[in-house]
Amino acid sequence: MIIHMTRIRIAGPRTLLERTLRLLQDLEIVHVTAPLVGGHPERGAPDVESPRLRRVLEDAEAALRALGVPAGEELPATPPQSLPRAALLARRTRRKAEALARQQSALADERVLLLRYREFFRAFAPLLDRELTWPDGHAFYVVLREGAGDRVERLRASLEAAVDGELEVLSHALPTGETAVLLLASRGVADKVGQLLAASRVQELPSPPGLGDVGLARALPALEARLAALPLLEDALTAKIDALRESAREALGRLRSWLHDRLLVLEASQRAHRGPHLFVVEGWAPQPGVPALAARVQAELGPDVLVEAVATEPWNRADAPVALRNPPIFRPFEVITSTLPLPRYGTIDPTPFVAVFFPMFFGLMLGDVGYGVLLGLLSIVIRARTKPGTRGRSIAAIGGACALFSIAFGFVFGELFGDLGARAFHFRPHGFDRGGAILPFLALTGALGAVHVTLGIVLAVLNAWRQGHRREALGRGVAAAMVTLTILALLAAFKVLPSRLFTPFVITVLVAFPVLVLLEGVVAIVELVSNFGQILSYARIMAIGTASLMLAVVANQMVGAMGSVLVGVLFALLFHVVNFGIGLFSPTIHALRLHYVEFFGRFFSPGGTAYRPLTHWHPGTPGA
Amino acid sequence: MHWSLAIAAALAIGIPAIATAWAQGRIGPAAAAALSEKPELSTTAIILIAIPETMVILGFVVAVLLLRGNG
Repeated sequence: MIIHMTRIRIAGPRTLLERTLRLLQDLEIVHVTAPLVGGHPERGAPDVESPRLRRVLEDAEAALRALGVPAGEELPATPPQSLPRAALLARRTRRKAEALARQQSALADERVLLLRYREFFRAFAPLLDRELTWPDGHAFYVVLREGAGDRVERLRASLEAAVDGELEVLSHALPTGETAVLLLASRGVADKVGQLLAASRVQELPSPPGLGDVGLARALPALEARLAALPLLEDALTAKIDALRESAREALGRLRSWLHDRLLVLEASQRAHRGPHLFVVEGWAPQPGVPALAARVQAELGPDVLVEAVATEPWNRADAPVALRNPPIFRPFEVITSTLPLPRYGTIDPTPFVAVFFPMFFGLMLGDVGYGVLLGLLSIVIRARTKPGTRGRSIAAIGGACALFSIAFGFVFGELFGDLGARAFHFRPHGFDRGGAILPFLALTGALGAVHVTLGIVLAVLNAWRQGHRREALGRGVAAAMVTLTILALLAAFKVLPSRLFTPFVITVLVAFPVLVLLEGVVAIVELVSNFGQILSYARIMAIGTASLMLAVVANQMVGAMGSVLVGVLFALLFHVVNFGIGLFSPTIHALRLHYVEFFGRFFSPGGTAYRPLTHWHPGTPGA
Repeated sequence: MHWSLAIAAALAIGIPAIATAWAQGRIGPAAAAALSEKPELSTTAIILIAIPETMVILGFVVAVLLLRGNG
């Protein structure tokens, strides 16, 4: 649900502004906004400190990043004894750390590259002795792809014809199927050979980096020596980085926290009205926390600073920030509602309704004790592997709720892996068999749809009433009554209710009709009709539930249909696994759709401003 | 059951199934393209893809009513 917000005003001597804001930062409940002085927010002197602090913060964060300190590491904020000295430390450490990181990265790149070259050039090793007999020659290294062995002869023939025999072509088959080719040419014809190779799109292997154009026969030993030396260089560099991290980590971590905190205070200070003698800070705080806030301010800052509750915001104040607070049992379902924008202040937070209806719809669709238990086990595994407060933990809780509803409806429908329970354990329905009683199941889902859609309209009435739109609220109320009366009239027509009630219900609907048009306009007729269309949409619960059951029944029938029992059981298990996968995915999508389209569409009003109180900085939360 | 009922039930689910497939075939690639640019649209994409399924589900309901109501 959305928490009631109280607009508060804190005023005091200008000299106490800093202390006041720091106290508010400790209390972490006031969402600071610009005060409305004379109808317009007034600005104080321009902030010259923030840009300087931001530069220091950038250096500190870059240094910590380059030193490999985890971004989530949180150290207590400690103000530096001297900011210029702290800024110098951050800048120097950043420069050193980034230089070391660059060197480390260059060495790693070099090692990877040399290893790749080594693999490749080792293939030429059997040919290199010959290269040394051509001291004035130029060597070309070429690798021909697999299956192109005959190209060596063609290459040899065409090159020898073109350069008049001052050339030697040596080849060696590689284990990969490729062919290493060494072309040795005298200096005089080297350029021509290079041009011919380029013209025939034969790509030459470049010399290893950093070893010069000395030819492979001489480069290979140098490459091996460099490779042997690299780990030592890397170790030395790692030791330097470790030493720098150990010396700077604590100081920079504390400095980072302090800088973030300080910037948050300065940002809040910019929103305050700062006169020559007085300051005024305005903001919102959750209504229940205001008395404690006032008492704490009085205790810490004395009687010179006044805290005044301007007003508990009426629900129609759209500019009040929105904070959701749901009981722990509903809180995991905020994952579903958080995919939508925040609801506007004063409207309804749909989370508690989602917490009830989402697992119910899911359970009705899956509706199987066996699959429900599997889902429960899966949820337990997810829960065990996730941390409290994470999205994964919320999904595990939602999965658990869906599993409970699936098991409960599994008992109602008498389903344990489809009809396996009935066949093997005489497991009987405790409500009705949805495979045989499709029409009652359809009626049940229709009734659920009617309740859900009508509830949506009732919530829309409440929204409109809170926002002060009385006419709209009345119109929605009449629409809700008409939907209900029409359903009751249908029940009377089908003799579910006494048939004598049919005429009074119909007359009431006919009387309400012009009232609805008067209140909401002609568009209300379209909306009224669409309500019935949306109630019919809940038939998908029956359709998907029946399909899930039928797939499970088919899986069970495979045991006797495959000739071999073992093969049949394997196929049945495979089919059940597939059906379980579909049984998780399809009900989730359709239960979500029923909420997003049919339910939220009635009343959900997006566009709320998030409640962001002035707090201390924590990793993962946005800074100033 | 008269053969015409079976044909009617088959048409009741078959035609909406084709219509749903056609609609989802157009919405799916568009949604995938939109998601590659803006992953935050995933909820909207799910809704858009699930909307045409209403046709085949209502077709299924009509088919069931035809078969069960007259079987």
